[in-house]
Amino acid sequence: MATDRTRRRALFAGAALSVVIVVLYSTGGVFSGLRSAANTVVNPFSWSVNEVARPIGHFFAGAVNYGDVVAQNQKLRYELGEAELKSNEEWSFERQLEQISTRLDVPFVGSLPTVAAQVTTLSPTNFAATIDIDRGRNQGILEGMPVVANGGLIGSVLSTTPNGATVRLISDTSSIIGVTFGKGTTDLLLSGRGVNNGLSATSIPLSTSLSPGTLLATDGLEGGLFPAGLPVARVSKVTLTPGAATYNLTLEPTADLRHISYVDVVLWEPST
Amino acid sequence: MRRTIVPATILTLLIVAIQLEILSSLRFAGVVVMLVWLWPVAMGLAGYTGLAMWVALVGGVLFDTHATTPFGLTAIVAMIFAYGASLLGREGVGDLDSAAIWVTPSLATIAGFFAPLVYTFGGVFVFNFELWRGSLGAMMLVNAVAFFVLARPVTRLARTVGSVGERVRR
Repeated sequence: MATDRTRRRALFAGAALSVVIVVLYSTGGVFSGLRSAANTVVNPFSWSVNEVARPIGHFFAGAVNYGDVVAQNQKLRYELGEAELKSNEEWSFERQLEQISTRLDVPFVGSLPTVAAQVTTLSPTNFAATIDIDRGRNQGILEGMPVVANGGLIGSVLSTTPNGATVRLISDTSSIIGVTFGKGTTDLLLSGRGVNNGLSATSIPLSTSLSPGTLLATDGLEGGLFPAGLPVARVSKVTLTPGAATYNLTLEPTADLRHISYVDVVLWEPST
Repeated sequence: MRRTIVPATILTLLIVAIQLEILSSLRFAGVVVMLVWLWPVAMGLAGYTGLAMWVALVGGVLFDTHATTPFGLTAIVAMIFAYGASLLGREGVGDLDSAAIWVTPSLATIAGFFAPLVYTFGGVFVFNFELWRGSLGAMMLVNAVAFFVLARPVTRLARTVGSVGERVRR
């Protein structure tokens, strides 16, 4: 009997606390304080686990993947050479584009300052695609700023602390990006499909000429969340439903979202 | 329970740290194994209702403060499964010694399979309708397999922690 009472009491206490938690969540300020308090509590444990686990992890990863590391190094050297060549070729085009953009008063990413940051942690959950970086408000990073890495847009700053920030990746299910392609006459909205699933665009009019391989870049429309010209994704599959007046796109992000170590935060604020 | 709450809390902090520092990077098929859910389930299967609810709450809340998902949802899901597991644990269903060897892992597998689903549905109650768009199937399968593998050692650990108070009483 007493056991039943204890059990019921525990259940009711749990339910009451759950309600309190949800209420706290809806009041942003309290949540922010709670978050820093929780970080303070967990940090010593995280640090200890990290200090113990990292060398062991590196040892095994190095021992098991040595061949892969060498192959990857060779591939990266080759890609670096290619990129340098391409960079030299594109320099003149970039200058032209910058001049045109300035004349049209459209922000161009090539002319915007950036802050380099290192990725500290990946999203701890399956339900959100985020990363934490080691630069924050003290380095001029603000919420909403675009983040690029690995050759394309990877996301935008979701929240900041004095020396850190959380970046929502473009693959997050709540991420929506306005993009354009070709001559920039058509605008599309891309949405994230979750941590492992990349991006998609639905209900594209049949009049839009898109084929696999087409590069999509941010449209930079007034009031948009990103400046113009940031490469976002390439079309990997065009799906036409029989009888439908629209088609759907499966897209591969231009940046490799699975292996992000360093990022550049573009110091550009979305207009309100 | 009062005597066991300190070691259980410290161990929960350690488990949250392992979850954040190791398991968030060590993904299987791109999926994070949710040790913060398995720990309270194991504590429940060991028969400690109050302790299971406590570690579910502490672990869940601390984990949620590090994620951008709805705050408190991980804790609530953990508490639901901890309570369910403790009902079975109290009856000795998940007992490591008397029950068949596959019982505890099987019960944990059920929890691991359904926890991401309950979490996704829970998102609706905090007005987050985007959670279902992730790889829900993969999450359910990977967590079910991981819970099956880890159930016995984690339940043994839970039983050790829970029995601290009993030993002191004796």
